[in-house]
Amino acid sequence: MALTFAATPRTPQVVAPRPRGKRGRAARRSLTGWAFAGPATLMVVGLSIFPAVWAFFISRTKWNGIAPATDVGWRNYQRIATDPDAIAAAQHTLVLTVLFVPGSILLGILIAVALNQRIRLIGFYRTCIFVPYVASAAATGILASFVFNPQFGAANEALRRLGLPAQQFLESPGQALIVICLIALWGEVGFCAVIYLAALQDIPRELVEAATVDGAGKWRVFRHITLPELRPVTVFTAIWQTITAMQLFDLIYTTTRGGPMNSTQTVVYYIYELAFQTQRLGYGAAVAYLLFAVTMLLTVGVIWYNRRSGSGAF
Amino acid sequence: MTSTRRGRRTRLLAAATAALLLTAACTGGTDDGDDGKDAAAGYDPAAAVTLTWWTGQTSEAEQVAEGLAAEYHAAHPNVTIKTSAGAPTTDDLLTKLSAGFAGGSYPDISYAFGNWAGDLAASGKTQDLTAFVAEKSFAWTEIPEAARTVATSGGKVIGIPALVDNLALIYNKKLFDAAGEAYPSDDWSWEQFRAAAKKLTNPATSTYGTAYSVSGSEDTTWHLWPLLWQHGGKILDGTKPAFNSDAGVKALELLRAMAVDDKSMYLDQTDEKYGPLFNSGHVAMMLSGPWSLLDIKDAKLDYGVAALPGVNGDHQTVSGPDLWVLFDHDDANRAGAARAFIKWLTSAQIDAKWNLKVGNLPLRSAERDTPEFAAYVKEYPGGQKFFDNLANAKQARPTVAGYEVMSRNVGDGIAKVLQGAATPKEALDEAARKSADALEE
Repeated sequence: MALTFAATPRTPQVVAPRPRGKRGRAARRSLTGWAFAGPATLMVVGLSIFPAVWAFFISRTKWNGIAPATDVGWRNYQRIATDPDAIAAAQHTLVLTVLFVPGSILLGILIAVALNQRIRLIGFYRTCIFVPYVASAAATGILASFVFNPQFGAANEALRRLGLPAQQFLESPGQALIVICLIALWGEVGFCAVIYLAALQDIPRELVEAATVDGAGKWRVFRHITLPELRPVTVFTAIWQTITAMQLFDLIYTTTRGGPMNSTQTVVYYIYELAFQTQRLGYGAAVAYLLFAVTMLLTVGVIWYNRRSGSGAF
Repeated sequence: MTSTRRGRRTRLLAAATAALLLTAACTGGTDDGDDGKDAAAGYDPAAAVTLTWWTGQTSEAEQVAEGLAAEYHAAHPNVTIKTSAGAPTTDDLLTKLSAGFAGGSYPDISYAFGNWAGDLAASGKTQDLTAFVAEKSFAWTEIPEAARTVATSGGKVIGIPALVDNLALIYNKKLFDAAGEAYPSDDWSWEQFRAAAKKLTNPATSTYGTAYSVSGSEDTTWHLWPLLWQHGGKILDGTKPAFNSDAGVKALELLRAMAVDDKSMYLDQTDEKYGPLFNSGHVAMMLSGPWSLLDIKDAKLDYGVAALPGVNGDHQTVSGPDLWVLFDHDDANRAGAARAFIKWLTSAQIDAKWNLKVGNLPLRSAERDTPEFAAYVKEYPGGQKFFDNLANAKQARPTVAGYEVMSRNVGDGIAKVLQGAATPKEALDEAARKSADALEE
């Protein structure tokens, strides 16, 4: 994944008009272009676009993957509106997103500012923060389910030493989603921190120095220079983390499998359950398409708002 | 500039349309292949054929299977059997099979969980073995009735049972001794079970009387069925849910009382924790099957096995048989050869070298007297009890399309009740309402 940030676009790129060559040359150039782009294009079309289109057709059928599919038109989509499990799953995803996205951004900025100090062993601290992000979410989930085991886990042991009552954590319908959010934050905050760290180091020193000369204190520099400069990155992180939160699956799979009592069944987990546990591929595909539409709308909405207010993340 | 962009868009649109047409062709267009003709009509036993066999087994058992296939090939040189596990886990076989059906390359013989039978039968790609198993030489009735029922979907036999098992009560003798309790007996009632579980529970040492999965999966659901049957209830009435009867409510109420009132039941949010907890001495009794014996043996636990507790002397249990499903490739020789091989594999003589060797119960009653069975019972002391308990498996889970959906809804309902979030009546009624659609279609 190539990410490019133009925090403050100072030099708009000027593309020189291409001199027109002969036909053969143009064809060769276009062939060369396709030779580079072709393999990747084939991969994207074959492995992403084709299945996505196929999934749309499946979403208009009733199909268990084995018996022949029967066409049901838009009925799968109509059913979503009256399916209490789908609505509950949407609520869980919403709660998770609302907790996770601002949480990871705030923590990310905080940690990035801390890691931007000139202190000894800073490289070591930076590595430490990033390690959980590198670890696979599945491994994180399995580890966390040991830590948060109500009977034998380290978390309750710590609470006991502090004289606090033991909690049920992942086995309590009221707490499980919050605990999952905490685990996800632990795993993902390294990513935000690194992005913000890069953005912080991108802030022109002159701006900070000018503000300091003008008599601004540390807080005012942060408030009026640093934060506005971080804005494009924040837009990107917000979208990125929203997508992460909405698609969170492996963590839930390895910790609660959607339980207890479906309290951590998010939309993505519900789709998995529908399509691959109870073989309702048609209905599962319909829910997946709805999720796709919502994610798309959200992203387009944020980009549009952002373009209108004139910052350059996208 | 605009014109080239429009040109590109048109081309993209054309490509997308082509893709759509292709995909439409992929989902539709499967006929059910039932032309009333026997798949093996005109089978020539001497014809050279190559069969594909998906065993659904991992490492050790897979090697035993490959050995048996080689043995069969040595005796029948014209039949070559390509043996493979088929998928990384048995669970994945169904996905692999459905992909195989879509792509037109599926095996001749595949392992299948019993609860897939309804769906596989609906694929129209299975052989109809009804007449084949009725031949006297097949000795169909030596196989437990519950397993034979599971192999039959819509009146047609679609496979041969590959494995039989059942649920019984496995208990930790040391924990009973420490509590001064008498070991469970075969004529226990559920009240005795409940009372013992309560006494064996000790929060100070994190010890529970028993355990139950509340993951909402089939593991949650099928543990309820024997209780339902013992109370005289039924899972389905035709294609209508019938488990929300008084019998179902009584059955679930017992579990609720143990989990919520007595707190003597460890509630496992996954299906995977209660086995290890039993093995490590934190759960005194678990309702489980012969597949648990290997892990218990490895944990060196002193254990005993008894029949399930009963209602008014009815101790019936549930069996979760697995199948060898035979598929039709419009080739009489392949169909016939596949039948002959499976008949050989599931014969009393060879099954003793297969199921008993890999630690399962014997498939046929005739294997009781084989030396392999004596060796099995010696290695797994509970094996004899599980074998005897096969006689208590009187009813089978329904083999209808839509069972999976219903199972999930019932499992969710049980999980809610055991965690005190619903009454048995509410939960079962809700599960029945949610399942009605899937079962009827």
